[in-house]
Amino acid sequence: MTRTISVEYDLPFPPAKVWRALTEPKLLEAWLMPNDIAPVVGHKFTMRTKPMGNWDGVVHCEVLVVEPLKRLVYSWKGGAADNPGYGQPLDTVLTLTLAEKPGGTLLLLEHSGFTGENEFAFTAMSGGWRSHGGGRLKEVLESLG
Amino acid sequence: MQTVLRQSEVFRALGDPTRRAVYERLIAREETVSALTARFAVSQPAISQHLKTLREAGLVEVRREGREAHYSVDPEGLKPLFDWMAHYEKFWRSRGSKLKAVLEGLDE
Repeated sequence: MTRTISVEYDLPFPPAKVWRALTEPKLLEAWLMPNDIAPVVGHKFTMRTKPMGNWDGVVHCEVLVVEPLKRLVYSWKGGAADNPGYGQPLDTVLTLTLAEKPGGTLLLLEHSGFTGENEFAFTAMSGGWRSHGGGRLKEVLESLG
Repeated sequence: MQTVLRQSEVFRALGDPTRRAVYERLIAREETVSALTARFAVSQPAISQHLKTLREAGLVEVRREGREAHYSVDPEGLKPLFDWMAHYEKFWRSRGSKLKAVLEGLDE
């Protein structure tokens, strides 16, 4: 079973403008992060954020669906397998749906594909903390900066 | 949102080096206030205050035995830090106003 984050942005701007902010690298960077996106199905690109723990902070994306002014879907993958905290592996999909409304656009952002793995990893680790958790914890705390 | 609040509490609690050292000690073993005081060369009230903060953040639990309070790590305590999903939810919510600012700057 996977979980989805849904966030709705009520924007007083027409879909054409919103679409630009989603698909032009410079504009996308201004509200999200540095990237080399292009609204072309199959285009592979990256987003760059702050490294966390053993993860270099690079999100690997591939454009899956392009319906100009209506819908944009791309994969969102990142993380490091040996990362115990933030930045553990993520294999998710971001779906952006634009709906025109009087005076603006309703942008629905759905980040889907989160598995229960975080919790499983946590449960598995919590058993180990008392016996040999010190070193691992230290890594986590260090990764917090 | 609950998780996000808990997260910042945990960050705050572990942000202090002495508190972090106390917490790491408690991972290794259960301790009393006096044992911790002796170990860390900090006054007893200071140790008690650190333990209070750690308890309020859900990181440490206490077990009373006679007149002594024994402190140990609550294994659930660090859970908020592992909730990558909560991190993303907060991240996306926080981006709405930035997106609006970008759109405001665009020409017709």
